This record gives sequence, C-alpha cells and structure tokens, in this order.
Amino acid sequence: MSASLWWLMARVAVGLAAGMLLGLAFGHPATGVAVVLSVLLARQYLVLRRVQRWLRSDKGAHAPEADGDWGEVIVLIARLQRRKQYHKRRLMRLLRELRRSTAAIPDGVVVLNPQAEILWFNRTAARLLHLRSRTDVGLRIENLVRQPEFIRYLRGGDFAQGVVVSAALDAGLHLQIQLVPYGDGQSLMLVRDVTRQQRLEAMRKDFVANASHELRSPLTVIAGYLETLGQDPALEPGLAGPIAEMRRQSTRMTGIIEDLLSLSKLEASDGEAERKPIDMAAMIDLLRSDLVARIDPATTVQGAAQASERLLGDEAQIHSACANLLDNAAKYTPVGGTISMRWWVDGEGGHFSVQDSGIGIGAEHIPRLTERFYRVDPGRSRATGGSGLGLAIVKHVLQRHGATLAVSSTEGRGSLFSCHFPADRLVSAATAV
Amino acid sequence: MEAADISHHTSRRFNEDLESVRSKVLAMGGLVEEQLAGALNALIDGDSKLGQAVARNDHAVNAMEVSIDEECSRILATRAPAAGDLRMIVATIKTITDLERIGDECEKIAYIAARLANDERPADHYREVKHLGRITQTMVRDMLDAFARLDAELAITTARSDRMVDEEYEAIHRQCITFMMEDPRTIRRALDVMWVVRALERVGDHAKNVCEYVIYMVLGKDVRHTSLERVEQEIKSRNARP
Repeated sequence: MSASLWWLMARVAVGLAAGMLLGLAFGHPATGVAVVLSVLLARQYLVLRRVQRWLRSDKGAHAPEADGDWGEVIVLIARLQRRKQYHKRRLMRLLRELRRSTAAIPDGVVVLNPQAEILWFNRTAARLLHLRSRTDVGLRIENLVRQPEFIRYLRGGDFAQGVVVSAALDAGLHLQIQLVPYGDGQSLMLVRDVTRQQRLEAMRKDFVANASHELRSPLTVIAGYLETLGQDPALEPGLAGPIAEMRRQSTRMTGIIEDLLSLSKLEASDGEAERKPIDMAAMIDLLRSDLVARIDPATTVQGAAQASERLLGDEAQIHSACANLLDNAAKYTPVGGTISMRWWVDGEGGHFSVQDSGIGIGAEHIPRLTERFYRVDPGRSRATGGSGLGLAIVKHVLQRHGATLAVSSTEGRGSLFSCHFPADRLVSAATAV
Repeated sequence: MEAADISHHTSRRFNEDLESVRSKVLAMGGLVEEQLAGALNALIDGDSKLGQAVARNDHAVNAMEVSIDEECSRILATRAPAAGDLRMIVATIKTITDLERIGDECEKIAYIAARLANDERPADHYREVKHLGRITQTMVRDMLDAFARLDAELAITTARSDRMVDEEYEAIHRQCITFMMEDPRTIRRALDVMWVVRALERVGDHAKNVCEYVIYMVLGKDVRHTSLERVEQEIKSRNARP
C-alpha cells in the first residue's frame, strides 16, 4: 500500500514538474500545472465512469481494468458481489429443497393466514381437497372445504383434536384434518387420508358386534342345560359343586356379552343422545332398592336427590351407567361399609356421584380405568365376576350426553365417582311435565 | 371480477361483511351437499335411521337461509352496495333460495329412503339412481366450487351437465314404466323410485340456476333463458381481450 502510495506521489510529482517546466518555457508555469492536474483528474473521472457503468450493468459484465487504488477497489467490490451471489444461490437452493420436501410429504399441507385464506399448499393437499394452484391461493379454505364438521372445527377454535370428514364423491374417502397454529395467527393445515383406518375401525366394530351376537345363542343353550342338570335329583353329589361353578361362569359370560353388545350399540349410535326428562330422584330410589335386595344387609346404601331438576337424556343409557357405577361400588366395598349416591345441581350443571368406603384405587390406575378389560388387580376382579366393561360403558354413555366422569380415590378409604352433566341438559321439574 | 377484486373497499368492515356472507352461503352449500349425500346413502344402503336423521336436519338448512337473507338485507340497507358488490348480494339472495329448495328435495328423498328401507332392496341395488345421484352430486359440488372461485367457465360446464341429468331421468322413467308393465307388484316401489329421481332432476335444475347466478355475478350478464353456447362465446371473447 505504502509502496503504491509512494509510486503515485512520485508519478504526480514528476507530472507536475514536467508541466511546470513546459509552462516555464512558455512563460506560464501555473497554466502548465493546471493542465497536468486536469488531465490527471479527467483520467480519474474516466475510471469512475467505467466502474459506475460496470456496477449498473446486469451481472455477467466483466470488471473494468484499472491500476492503483482503483484496481484494488474494483477487486474488492467484485469479491463482495461474488460472496453475495454465493449466499443468495445457497439460500435459493435451500428454499427449493424445502419446498420440494414439503411438496413430497405424503400428507397434505396447506398454509393459512389468520383469516383462514390459503397461502400455499402442496400437491397432496391439492389432490385430496381438489384445490387448484392457479386460482385458489387467497381464497378462504372453508369456501372450498365445505363439510359442516370441518367448518365447525375451524370456527370452534379448539384445534387440539383433529376432525375426520368424508368426501362423498371420492368413493368414501375419509380425511383427517388437523390445524396447527403458529406465528402470527397463521396455521398449518395437515390433511391425511384415513380411509383405510376408518374402514378397519368399522370392520372391528362390526366384528365385535357380530361375534358377541353369534356367541349368545350357544351360550343360552349351555346355560339352559346346566340349569336343568343342576336341578336333577339323580345328579351325582360330587358333580353339584362343579356344575354350580359352571353356571356361575356362564352367567358371567352372558354378562360380558351383553356388555359388549351394549358397548357396540353405543359406539354405532354416534352423535348426541336424545333429550327426554329423567327423574333422577326416582332413579336413585330404584337403584337403591335394587342394590339393597342384592347385598349383605350390614352394608349401608344411601341415596339422596338434592335437586328436583330433571336430566335430559336417554333414560335406559343413564340408568345403565349409574347402575354400573353402583355395582362397582358394591363390589369393592367390604361388608359393613357405606355406599352413597347423590344428585345435585349447581351453577356448572348437574352432578351424579357414587361414593363408597371400599378398598380404593391407586392413583396410577385412575387414568386407565375406562379402558376395556382394564384390571386394577387381575386376580381380585375376576373373582368378583365383573365383565371389565362397566366403566367403558359409563364413559360412552357420558360422552353421548356431553358429560364427563371424574374419579378420586384414596387406597383403603374408598372412591368417589362423579358424573358432571352440562347445564343445557337440565330442565326444572315444572317444565318437564 | 376476481376474488381479490373486492378487496378495494376503503371500508374494511364492508369487505369482511361481503366475505362472511360468501362463506356463509358456501357453508350452507356444504350442509346441502352433506344432506344430499346422506339422503342418497340412506336410500342405497337401506338405512332408515340415516334417512330420518337427514329429514330431521332440513330445518338447519332453512335456518341458514333465513339468517343469510337477513344479513343480505342488512348489507343492502346499510352499505348500499354498487356494481359488482350489488351483483354479488343479488346473486346470493337468489342462490340461497335454490339451495334451500335443494335441501327440500333432499328431505323428500330421505323420507322415501326411510320408508323404502323396510322393504327388500331391488336386485340392482338402485344402480341407475346411484348413477344419477353421482351426476347431481358432482353438479352441486362444481356449482359451489364455481361460486367460491367465481369461475364462470366452470359454471357453464356445470350448467350444461344438467342435460345429462335430464337424459338419465328420462331413461329411468322409461325403465320404471317397463318394470311396472312387466310385474305389477313392483308398482309401489317404482313409483317411489320415480319420486326420488324426480327430486334428483329438480336438484339438477336448481344447481343449474345457481350456475347462472354465478355467471351473472362474474360477468354482469343475465343468462337465464338464453342458450349456453352464446354465453360461452361471450366468455371466450372476454378472455381473449387483453
């Protein structure tokens, strides 16, 4: 740098000296210096013009040649440009890869802005939802995906659970749609073809229903013969015990099959349960007298309806749910314990609860209680003869009524099962009649 | 008029009002699509429960018509829309009437389906009705898509497929008459099937009407009672213009 600076200064000095000498020869040394200076300036200006033209031109133009500092400036600019171009190309490549990979995702992806207008979608989404890339960007998604369930889901604001919609015209196509909000109110809409799963699920339900149905008739025959055998006076005394046990087990099997059938019936009837007023006080009385007749008189059974409001629902289903809860309480409460039922209404809605002073349930089991055939203690519950489906039935019944089941329990002290019904399923006793 | 075209209003609220009306019409359309699919499935699968559910659900379609109608009147009264916006409101008011009628036809089909479910199903499992049902379902879907995308070309092709519906209707009509002549025991069912195909044919007509409103909304041209070919030429000449 300093070398070139010296070289420059030397060149300028020589030029100025030559100009002054030439000027002296004509008697105007100052004019000579001025002429030399303007020539030097003009040269600088020309280089500047060339650099300007180069920078203004589109890429691909060669960098102008220049010596000295100008040359260095040009080299530096060119380097900056090259670096910028490199980064740009890298970003573009990355973006292209990203788009290509999202486009290749087997699930449909649609990007929506806060007004639920389409910003972008991939090929799968276009195929599944019949979107057209040319015209559909900017349109509201609900205008093109019009299934009422989807619109309810979109407007509902609770996106945690996806929604399954069917496309009537695409041969029973079922789509699971899930919205994932992100950023400034934007959301990612994931669309997945779940036709196969839906079909399998339907087949499973049909299978359970059919199998239970088919098992029922042979079982009736077996139970019938066992009953006749048990009452036969000529029966060998050693066989009485085994036959009684066989009768108990066949009764239990019938119970399991009945429960399976009512469960599959509950599953098949989707949508809300009907709304017929149910007199909970009368139901509690009925349940109480039923239970008292069956269990040891040392156990106390209490029932109290603290509200006159009627519950709007399906009476048979509500009865079976309450009876299941009560049966469980009876099964796990030792003789001499207390079982109490309660129906009350507050600002949040109606509540039915069954409390027992039984053995209680460990906290780790509570979340899984409503699973089918879930056993807290496998040895014990088989001995008590339950089907393992009672709480699953309760859960399904409550779901159809928009209600929830809450369980709290202390081991050794007893459990509390409460059903919470929403306020819109209540009606005062006066209007119900 | 493209979808983006109604974004030029100085009043954002007005814009949102128009968009929300459009979305409501299409939501109503979605409900009608579902009703139609449900009614046809009830008939074809012999599902009387589904048929009753569809028939009961018709009130939801009617309620939507009333609410959209009110909203349109409110917009007319308070915003005094002009040009394309006015056309949109006018077309909307007409569209919901036709959608409501389609809903009524679905209710009819669903009633008959619920009743026919108790009888033994015919050997051909309503193959012809299924076919006609598919054509009308496609028409309804395309008609709503055309409304959503303001797509006059799609509206034209959809309106044209009404002819196919009419032809199918004629064919099933003749077939039913043949059945009745061959075996008088089938008369009762054949008459019910005739009611169903008649309802489907009406659905096609209503869908065609909505397509005409879409063309009116997009091009500002009333194409009722004119031949579709002329309208198509009109659209082509418009698109050719730069």
